[in-house]
Amino acid sequence: MSEFYMTEQIDKALAREYEAGFVSDVESETFMPGLDEDVIRRISEMKGEPEWMLEWRLSAFRDWLKMDEPDWALVDYPKIDFQAISYYSAPKSMKDKPKSLDEVDPELLRTYEKLGIPLIEQQMLAGVAVDAVFDSVSVVTTFREKLEEAGVIFCPISEAVHKHPDLVKKYLGSVVPKKDNYYAALNCAVFTDGSFVYIPKGTRCPMELSTYFRINEQNTGQFERTLIIADEGSHVSYLEGCTAPQRDENQLHAAVVELVALDDAEIKYSTVQNWYPGDEEGKGGIYNFVTKRGVCHTNAKISWTQVETGSAVTWKYPSCVLKGDNSIGEFYSVALTRGRQQADTGTKMIHLGKNTKSTIISKGISAGKSNNSYRGLVRMNPGAEGARNFTQCDSLLIGDQCGAHTFPYVESRNPSAIVEHEATTSKVSDEQMFLCQQRGLDPEKAVSMIVNGFCKEVFKELPMEFAVEAGKLLEISLEGSVG
Amino acid sequence: MSNLLTIKDLHASVEEKNIIKGLNLEVKPGEVHAIMGPNGAGKSTMGYVLSGRDGYSVESGSVTLDGEDLLDMETEERARAGLFLAFQYPVEIPGVSNLEFLKAAVDAQREARGEEAVTSAEFLKEAKAACKQVNLPVSFLKRGVNEGFSGGEKKRNELMQMLLLKPKLCILDETDSGLDIDALQVVAEGVNSQRSADRSFIVVTHYQRLLDYIKPDFVHVLSDGKIVKSGDASLAHELEAQGYAWLQTEPAEDELEG
Amino acid sequence: MSEWLESAIARGQDNQDWLAPKRAQALDALANTQWPTRKTEAWRYTPLKAVERSSAKALDSVSDLTPVAIPNVSAIELVFVNGQFDALQSTKALPTGLTVQLGQDLSADQQAEALRSFSNIKPERHLFGLVNDALAKDVLLVTVAEGIEIAEPLRISSLLSAGAESHTRVLVRLEKGAQLAVIEDVQSQGDSLSTAFVEYDVAAEASLEHYRFALQTGSNLTIGGSHFQLSDKSKMHSTIVGFGSELSRLDTDIIHAGEFADAKLNAMYLLDGKELFDLHATVEHAMPNGTTEENVRGIVADRARAVFNGRIHIHRDAQKTLAELNNRNLLMSNKAEINTKPELEIYADDVRCAHGATIAEIDKQALYYLETRGISKSKAQVMLNFGFINELIDLMPNEALAEWVRPIIRERFAQMEVK
Repeated sequence: MSEFYMTEQIDKALAREYEAGFVSDVESETFMPGLDEDVIRRISEMKGEPEWMLEWRLSAFRDWLKMDEPDWALVDYPKIDFQAISYYSAPKSMKDKPKSLDEVDPELLRTYEKLGIPLIEQQMLAGVAVDAVFDSVSVVTTFREKLEEAGVIFCPISEAVHKHPDLVKKYLGSVVPKKDNYYAALNCAVFTDGSFVYIPKGTRCPMELSTYFRINEQNTGQFERTLIIADEGSHVSYLEGCTAPQRDENQLHAAVVELVALDDAEIKYSTVQNWYPGDEEGKGGIYNFVTKRGVCHTNAKISWTQVETGSAVTWKYPSCVLKGDNSIGEFYSVALTRGRQQADTGTKMIHLGKNTKSTIISKGISAGKSNNSYRGLVRMNPGAEGARNFTQCDSLLIGDQCGAHTFPYVESRNPSAIVEHEATTSKVSDEQMFLCQQRGLDPEKAVSMIVNGFCKEVFKELPMEFAVEAGKLLEISLEGSVG
Repeated sequence: MSNLLTIKDLHASVEEKNIIKGLNLEVKPGEVHAIMGPNGAGKSTMGYVLSGRDGYSVESGSVTLDGEDLLDMETEERARAGLFLAFQYPVEIPGVSNLEFLKAAVDAQREARGEEAVTSAEFLKEAKAACKQVNLPVSFLKRGVNEGFSGGEKKRNELMQMLLLKPKLCILDETDSGLDIDALQVVAEGVNSQRSADRSFIVVTHYQRLLDYIKPDFVHVLSDGKIVKSGDASLAHELEAQGYAWLQTEPAEDELEG
Repeated sequence: MSEWLESAIARGQDNQDWLAPKRAQALDALANTQWPTRKTEAWRYTPLKAVERSSAKALDSVSDLTPVAIPNVSAIELVFVNGQFDALQSTKALPTGLTVQLGQDLSADQQAEALRSFSNIKPERHLFGLVNDALAKDVLLVTVAEGIEIAEPLRISSLLSAGAESHTRVLVRLEKGAQLAVIEDVQSQGDSLSTAFVEYDVAAEASLEHYRFALQTGSNLTIGGSHFQLSDKSKMHSTIVGFGSELSRLDTDIIHAGEFADAKLNAMYLLDGKELFDLHATVEHAMPNGTTEENVRGIVADRARAVFNGRIHIHRDAQKTLAELNNRNLLMSNKAEINTKPELEIYADDVRCAHGATIAEIDKQALYYLETRGISKSKAQVMLNFGFINELIDLMPNEALAEWVRPIIRERFAQMEVK
């Protein structure tokens, strides 16, 4: 998208509050707070799951009980009371599983419309199919017939468990094992919905796929699970977006995303994360503890692009396991923190195969009293003959009350592998500001322009179709951060 | 008189792309050959292939230097056999002093020829003299190889190495690029001082300018990986007047071995 | 907790001397410390099994160990043998303005003051620093008086017999405008375990030149730290040369406690065999207008493992800081391993900070260039490896010392090449 467009968007954002902070008036069926095996059985029952799925959940739960919450990230938040969270909430109107859009509660449709995601196909962005997840259930998945013509499966994961059990059994937990980490284990136990995608061999998915996550209910956690399988030689571009109402309490979001790119396949996964970040003083906001990982087989490519502007606390490291020879992993990230937001995000690139390549471009912008950390791992295993990595981490500080940090781990065990890591830190310089102002720009416009320029390398990776979405999610209110 | 260098129907490629496509050239001792041609003709590739750079693979053809099969040798063996390549863009090697580098090169070449090693003192004397001859301050011997040298200094450093290594065949790869007229003269004088009955030169250049200072015996036009026209020094002036545009209009085959 | 640490704590409790209050603090901290595992960030890549297995023990001082001579460097010698200060081998006639005292020889008042400086600069987080607090017997205090420039370098040598365990500690204070060069060196006969910690208090406008050589290989366990506190307009220039051994771990801390201080750190490691070398270098910019430049280079061959952690922490008040860290590594074998982690933690906006880390093979272009001049591939490789390290040797302010260490490094490369 054009630089001018982005500038305009940031500009608009300057004047604006968190627009997605409204609450939808929907009558919901919500579990009482608390977590034990019974709760898991009830979730499984609500979804009508087969026995194997329930067993899988329970074993993850038992593992989780033995695990410790990770404490290595540079984030600080009060201990989460997992018994104070409700693990399931769904609009009552969804109970009868509406067959078509006409049967969906209009209030739900209005909610998405307000968020700029019209679910009526005629009004939608052409070429984008959407799975809309509201609290613990998928409300609707659009363009399904059109996708089915191409053999593409795009449906709620709860539905895939029934309709495509072989694929789910084979791949669920194959990239992120149940015990991978504390939050992943929790997600395995209590995940409620999310998207499932399968692209058949040699198929180029005819449209962009997108999932829009909305937390609405109070005191609920959202635990979605996404599984994307790109079969040999296929190609798919996928985008997720997320928002939540403005509330004084913190809410937990612990998702797991697994990507499988089989030989010669390509998955492009873009995220624009705009969970409610809390207020200026750090009250409220989402705890975003997410595990995202993909496996690349021979000649496959996975590209992660993320624009992270929301959440009170972000703990997220979309990663690539470059298993097959000549496979490629990419990570492009813009993380903007303000107020009291804390982000600890980055990636892991694990090079196993020969001639594997990875690129990491991370842009962190810290404003207000926020802290923004890049944390990454690049590992060249002994078999990674001729592998290459290039990493560039840049931080921009706006104001003198924030923090910008870089924690890269670089491990190499192959002499023919080349790893290059660079990191810089800068501020919006007085000279830059002066020049802009001298040419007639007001300070906030100047900052937004400079920030935009700083992020350009990442923005250009976002799919064009999501320009509007991305622009909205760059609602970086830099208001008051210019001295 | 027998040939010093004989290139017969040489085909070579870089990254699976054919660049040299049937090159023939004969150079006798003491001759100066100029190779001219447009960008992308394969001029630099020729030097890399002859010197045996990794990634430049010979598909077919033969090259002999003084009757020996050049293509059968490692890069350093070719150097010891008397082949010298003056680079267009000499690489910088910080931390390795110029003097140490030169001594190691001279030692290796003398040893290969079964000659006795020169003492450090003797060598230093020679190196200083060579510095003077190419107009480089003696302090450059202590600096890292080409480290922080200007374009002209790098070229003169190449020349200094040539003076010390006393090769049989020198390939000057666009030695004139990036040089002002004064620097060009210094380099040309250095080259001319080394011309002798048992030393030959291949001067690779895009412009005729250098050939005003280093008079060639023969001029060849390289286009699309082979020599499409050969002549005496006057050919260079012809090219200067015409440019290389005619190469595109005339099929190369018609001009072969002209 | 490990048996080794338990025994160290038990031995520390016997040390009832002038340092008792500080020793008690250290013992307390140790008692509450988890013995590091792979999950302990500071020891993530460096296992301590060798320490647990070590049979090194405290031995009496012996007279047949002498520091190696450094040609053309006439140093003021301070010698420890098996952890005990050796007055006989140490220089007695000190230049004016330089005082060297043993802690136990001080008056009660002086001891009270010295106690305040002890472990004042070395951060508490270093596990073996705490061990050293508890077990260092002869603590040396070195002071350069205000405005005095000491021409000759001061060399602190810790010599160990085979199988010896030693803990040495020196506190160096440069008063305002003073100048001093210090060489830290440990030499051992094998199977030893040593912790050697030095704290440097560099007062305003003072200037410190520092060298630390960790050239012990084989079965020696060499652990230590050099910790620097810089005051207003002070300067330091440190050079570290490390070979690996079964365990070789060095922690450096540079604390900008004053404004306009300038720190330079050049470190290099050359590892062979199954050696391990672990350098943790931390820079704390607590005050504005400081500058730091770190250049760290390593070559790792055979089955060796290198660990580098370079942390730069810019505190909220440290505006106008300039800090740069560059770490470059060459990996020579597919059994060798490099783990590097350059970190930036920044809380001030008007600063310029950057770090870079690379792991690569030798520059192929340079290799080709040398080959076209007739130099064999293996010789060219040695030359380029040496050049890579020599760039930092060239930056050593003391030329005689550079001349001494250069052939040692050449020899090291020649050995690495033989395999």
